[in-house]
Amino acid sequence: MVVEAITDGGVLYGLLAVGAGLATGLAGIGAGVGEQGIGAAVVGVVAEEPGFLGKGLFLMLLPETLIIFGLAVSLILMFAWTPFA
Amino acid sequence: MLRPVKMSRVVVAGSKDVIAPVIEKLHELRLLHIVNYNGSQPEFELGKPIGKAREYSEDLIKLRSIARYLDIKSKAPEKTYPESQVLSEMDNLLNNVGADVTATFERIVAIEAEVKSKQDQIKALGPLTVLPLPLESYYGYESLAVFVGSVASPVDADVARVSPVNEIHTASTKTGTVVAVFVPADKAGEVSSVLAEHGFSELSVPRLEGNVDSAIASLESNIKSLEGEKAPLQKKLVDMKKQYEDLMLATDEYLSIQTQKTEAPLRFAETANAFVIDGWVPSDQFNRLKSEVESAAGGKIDVQLIGDNEAEELVEHGEDVPTKIDNPGLVKPYELVTRLFAIPEYKEFDPSLLIFVFFPIMFGMILGDIGYGLMTLVVLILLKKKFRTDGWQQLINIVMIASVWSIIFGIFFGEIFGPLGLWGKIFGHLPEVQIELLKEEGLFFGEGVYGSLGRLGPLGIFPMDRLATNAVLMLIGVSIFIGVLHCSVGSILGIKTELNYGEKKHAYFERLPVLLFQLFFAVFLLGLIMGQMIMVGVAGIVIVAAIVMMVMGPEGPMGMAHVPFYVSNLISYLRLLAIGLASVGLAFAANQLAFYVIMPMLSGGAHDSAEFSIVAIIVGLIVLTVVHFINMLLGILSPFMHPLRLHYVEMFTKFYSAHGGGVEYSPFGHVRRFLKV
Repeated sequence: MVVEAITDGGVLYGLLAVGAGLATGLAGIGAGVGEQGIGAAVVGVVAEEPGFLGKGLFLMLLPETLIIFGLAVSLILMFAWTPFA
Repeated sequence: MLRPVKMSRVVVAGSKDVIAPVIEKLHELRLLHIVNYNGSQPEFELGKPIGKAREYSEDLIKLRSIARYLDIKSKAPEKTYPESQVLSEMDNLLNNVGADVTATFERIVAIEAEVKSKQDQIKALGPLTVLPLPLESYYGYESLAVFVGSVASPVDADVARVSPVNEIHTASTKTGTVVAVFVPADKAGEVSSVLAEHGFSELSVPRLEGNVDSAIASLESNIKSLEGEKAPLQKKLVDMKKQYEDLMLATDEYLSIQTQKTEAPLRFAETANAFVIDGWVPSDQFNRLKSEVESAAGGKIDVQLIGDNEAEELVEHGEDVPTKIDNPGLVKPYELVTRLFAIPEYKEFDPSLLIFVFFPIMFGMILGDIGYGLMTLVVLILLKKKFRTDGWQQLINIVMIASVWSIIFGIFFGEIFGPLGLWGKIFGHLPEVQIELLKEEGLFFGEGVYGSLGRLGPLGIFPMDRLATNAVLMLIGVSIFIGVLHCSVGSILGIKTELNYGEKKHAYFERLPVLLFQLFFAVFLLGLIMGQMIMVGVAGIVIVAAIVMMVMGPEGPMGMAHVPFYVSNLISYLRLLAIGLASVGLAFAANQLAFYVIMPMLSGGAHDSAEFSIVAIIVGLIVLTVVHFINMLLGILSPFMHPLRLHYVEMFTKFYSAHGGGVEYSPFGHVRRFLKV
């Protein structure tokens, strides 16, 4: 019965959805953790030297790519990868 | 446009007799970017201020301190003044008005300090209200030590142990126990340590007289009368600000201009009888500068152009060529984005034009909604009248152009306040039969809402529903395509920039391979999707060749370490799709909630919109408005921030500011805002 349930598309699709969610969610946490330190430092620098805003923003937005990776994986899982087609 | 304006190095040398008219003329022309003389040559010394430089700067300091008291800050001018009016009113402004303002301001500060000290006294008296003693009995003894404060536990027994002669008053309040302990002065030390064991914390008793309650009451009435005095004074300052604001700003401008002119020689080189000014001027303006300055000085001056080779030498010795970025009106607002990052160096490209091309498209692709786009546009048109400073105007113009693009993309996506929203209500849905037909043709892009306009695009795929599977896949492709285009333009500029600096090796072995890598990475992916193995193979070979070139480049094998960075650069453009999806999701949820959950539920399970009760429609509309409003706020912020990031991180790193920021062209002169020209 278990085997049937697993090979059944519904359960697999559910697992795929869980995986996609984890990919985006965990990547989001990672990006957030990365950004918090940079953000604090940038606010500090900009308070002293407002001209640094652009470069500070640049540094702060660097880790944001992480979440896009997670999202790319999710999109592939949800839309492009069809294991039971 | 893409390059800063061409500059020429000039030297102006003349007799000291004509220094004043020359400065006057240069100030008026606003053409010469002066290179400050640093005193490095023994034949020349630093110039000295001319005219009434000291008086002007003293007046300026006086004026600014008055302006600070009145809280006057720079703003958009409402009224302009002729110089003669400023001059005639300046004396009155600086002396009479100034003295009045200063006196008023100082009185307010004094009142505030007094109120503060009285409030502190009231705070200190608070705990004493529970003790029966009048205030004068707490101080003024020679042979007695007095301890007043709060304690954690009863102290009577322990104090009596070290000092049998004592008087102790204890009372408890809501926050703890208050004691007043009187002991002979010679026992003070021992009693103090005993009290410390009981957690004694001292209260400072104000030196007042009489009953505690009446003392508090009199302090409070004092405060009231002080506040009563303060209010009209503050109103007076506000009125004065209203009356003098523009005039003061105009005077500030006048004095700044005068100081600038009189102190200008500090930046020149001088000998006993002559002065020399070094500077840069836009090449096409040189002749105008020469003829105007020469006629102003009556021939006692020489304005000379320095040859390119000699100028190059000066640059090598550390002189910065000022960058004058010049763009047509429509592109101008986007200079703000460039400036926020860095001013380009003279030999670099000015990316404002590229930002003008790409930024609004990216913004539009993310927001992509006719409703939101129109709302943003209307709000911005209103804001444009309200916020008149240059920075705000530029920002508003940037978003205005972008919101026009979001309306255009809204038509592609078929969204008016989200899918399932007004588009379907206005243009109607596609019949089931036709959807089935399209599915068979493979042209069906999800269960979206299709308008009666039908499909507008070349494949007949617009308007499409962004939440549908096929649309997501297609938009992934479009995002990556925009990314490749964007990054490649950046890389091409990177190659040209390196060539401008004469760094051939960097150009061909650092920037060129990146360009090849990006382009053929896209071909590689396309080949995989289309199943064309030849394309995949060719692209693979070129990619390997590009990586080999990087290894041969100036960084050696370390160059290869950048490859993941370039891949992640391209993947990063997926945010164009992703952020859009998030806001579409929210809009979709709002519409679902209102039209398919709340309205039917509140009308007792009706399914047709004609059967909805009025209450249901009102509640539904409130929910709809609130959620869409929140979504729109988010929907303006993130489509702005993310394309900004795509420019700063993904594109600028390919070509910009590798050599450090430039120096902006700031010609000697002053823009008159409050003074009539």
